[in-house]
Amino acid sequence: MEAPPDNDVLWARTLHFRHPDGSPGLAGVSLGVRVGEILAVAGPRGSGKTTLLHCLSGLLPVRDGEVWFNSSPVHTMGPTARERLRRDHFGWIEPAPVLVPELNVWENTALPLLLRGIGRRRAKVAALEWLERLDAGEHARRHPRELQQAERQRVAIARALAPGPTVLFADEPTAPLHHGDRAHVLRTLTTAARSHGITVVLATHDARTAALADRTVSLLDGRRVRTLPLPEAAETEGRAACSLSV
Amino acid sequence: MLALRLTRAARPAVQVRRLLVAAASAGTGFLLLSCLGYALAHPGAPGTAVPRLVWCVAPLAATVYFALAVARTDPGTRPRPGLSAVGLGPARLMAVSVLTTVLSCGLGSLLALMLFLQLRGDLAGTPLDGAAARFLATDQPLPLPAALTLLTPVPALAAATVAVALRPRDPRPPAGPPRSPGRPGAYGHPAPRETFGAYGRFGVRPRTPAAARQAAVPPPSPGATATTVDEPDENGTGVLEADEAGAPGRLPSPAATPAGLPWGIAAVAAGLAVQAYSGRPATGPALTHLPAGATAVLAGWVLTAAGLVLAAPGLTHLCGRLLQSVRPGALRLLAGRALMAEAPRIGRPLGVACAAAAATYAMTVLYEGPATSRGPLAALGALVVTGSTAATLLTAAVEARQCRAETTAALLRLGAPAGMLRTAAVLRAVALLALFGPLTLALAHLAALASAR
Repeated sequence: MEAPPDNDVLWARTLHFRHPDGSPGLAGVSLGVRVGEILAVAGPRGSGKTTLLHCLSGLLPVRDGEVWFNSSPVHTMGPTARERLRRDHFGWIEPAPVLVPELNVWENTALPLLLRGIGRRRAKVAALEWLERLDAGEHARRHPRELQQAERQRVAIARALAPGPTVLFADEPTAPLHHGDRAHVLRTLTTAARSHGITVVLATHDARTAALADRTVSLLDGRRVRTLPLPEAAETEGRAACSLSV
Repeated sequence: MLALRLTRAARPAVQVRRLLVAAASAGTGFLLLSCLGYALAHPGAPGTAVPRLVWCVAPLAATVYFALAVARTDPGTRPRPGLSAVGLGPARLMAVSVLTTVLSCGLGSLLALMLFLQLRGDLAGTPLDGAAARFLATDQPLPLPAALTLLTPVPALAAATVAVALRPRDPRPPAGPPRSPGRPGAYGHPAPRETFGAYGRFGVRPRTPAAARQAAVPPPSPGATATTVDEPDENGTGVLEADEAGAPGRLPSPAATPAGLPWGIAAVAAGLAVQAYSGRPATGPALTHLPAGATAVLAGWVLTAAGLVLAAPGLTHLCGRLLQSVRPGALRLLAGRALMAEAPRIGRPLGVACAAAAATYAMTVLYEGPATSRGPLAALGALVVTGSTAATLLTAAVEARQCRAETTAALLRLGAPAGMLRTAAVLRAVALLALFGPLTLALAHLAALASAR
């Protein structure tokens, strides 16, 4: 097996995963994520993008295959060690922004910092800075349910970026948004990541979103593929194929 | 059948909750039946039989409250997005929930009837005698219609309460300006009609001199407050402005104190005062024939309990606020804010439980003597009331936990240590105990002092 390049911050080798109910998840995925790059994991729904991100970030235990983060084996770590790794080195953005409803926006943003044991004053300063950078500064004292979805998603991104993670996992960060908000959210995310040298692993099923990334890894049915079959253009001739009588 | 299937397939914890409802229902049913037995044995003394029946209201209310709390937390009857498509929508789920409640309460009532008949010796064996014969009426045949009538209220009331509480409702449109931009009348909210309303009514607004009205640009038209609210361009900014101006806005923020704390405190004070001023009752009057002074004491007790229930959400909120005050770290922040947010849900059962505990304590202090002097029925009633309220409180805690499950999962994905979340929960419980424990004790002492003065 070839040695991974030195500048890979995170890599996976022949990653297999099967869900607890027996349904197939991943079937031998190998990939490397370089320092500071934005890597898009593309693929249609159900192709194993989220599972791959869960395995890479240590949310799911890896039984078959290897995941290495900065030369430390994630696949041999216990739950506690993985939890610490996630807290100290990883950021996570979900498809829907799940903020803690009873905390206001800046407290939500500062929460990862507070969880790392950073003082309240420093955490607040950092959180407010990030909120300003992501155009959410004016909402700092409001509560999540007073915001719109796109604003909440920006706050979630600020929360993920605030502790300065080494790797940021973004699982379809723009899925519930309209196209205008989508572009805004993605631009803020990619700009912030590039300017701060944060590695981003971005799962998306949208080719336009994937185009913003430095590199794209395509998944299909839990396998890495070179090319993705595009959906065929709707044609009138194609209708006949749907008929059972043919 | 569906209700039965869903009932059978539940997890043990849920079954235990339902069995507890059945137990509470059985206790209440037995109390009601023993009232019947007493009335049968003493046909000439309705004056002592009626208060016994009236005393059954307390266990009945506690049982219904508990049944409602259990129905709320029942995972089998939570709305499931997937099942709505196959016809298991909110209305059907409510029906399932009502059926489950009727099942558990009916089971309890049946158990009570069996036990009563067994003790009477109707089923097998010999009837009990001695003190128990007073309420079992062993020498008389039991009128079955009367027994069934007395056993119906628990399942019927519980079912009605569950049906009303869980009836399908559309989420209410927010009281403030809606955030969704769009023409008035979109999303089903009718555009407000052009009426004069309260604005145009004489004397509602302070009169403005004509010159000042001229100076104001544009002049406010009658009904302006009502119509501009829904206009699209004002939508986005309405809430913003309200917030930035320092006003809390029209959205009830979780930081808002639940209303009712002042009323609750006033009611508690009034109740204690009524108890203190309502003449001195004979020491330890029998619960079944109360003199006039004792009735006033009882009214004072009811007032105090109601005040405690009213004030409890506010006190819970205050507890959370104290917990997260003065530069909190992540632990105190999460614990305190969660307590503040859950204050309405947790507070009310907590108030009821405290009232029941205080009443039990005061009773024990007032009626110093052998427990048998009050009879086994009073003990059973106290057990049903305190047990039901305590179980309701625990069920409310379970409900709060279910509601926060998504947030907890997100926190765990964020890397929050699971141990810290557990510590936060323990911290919440300790804070509540530290506030409500002494409060309950103090109230019970005050009430006992006032009554036994």
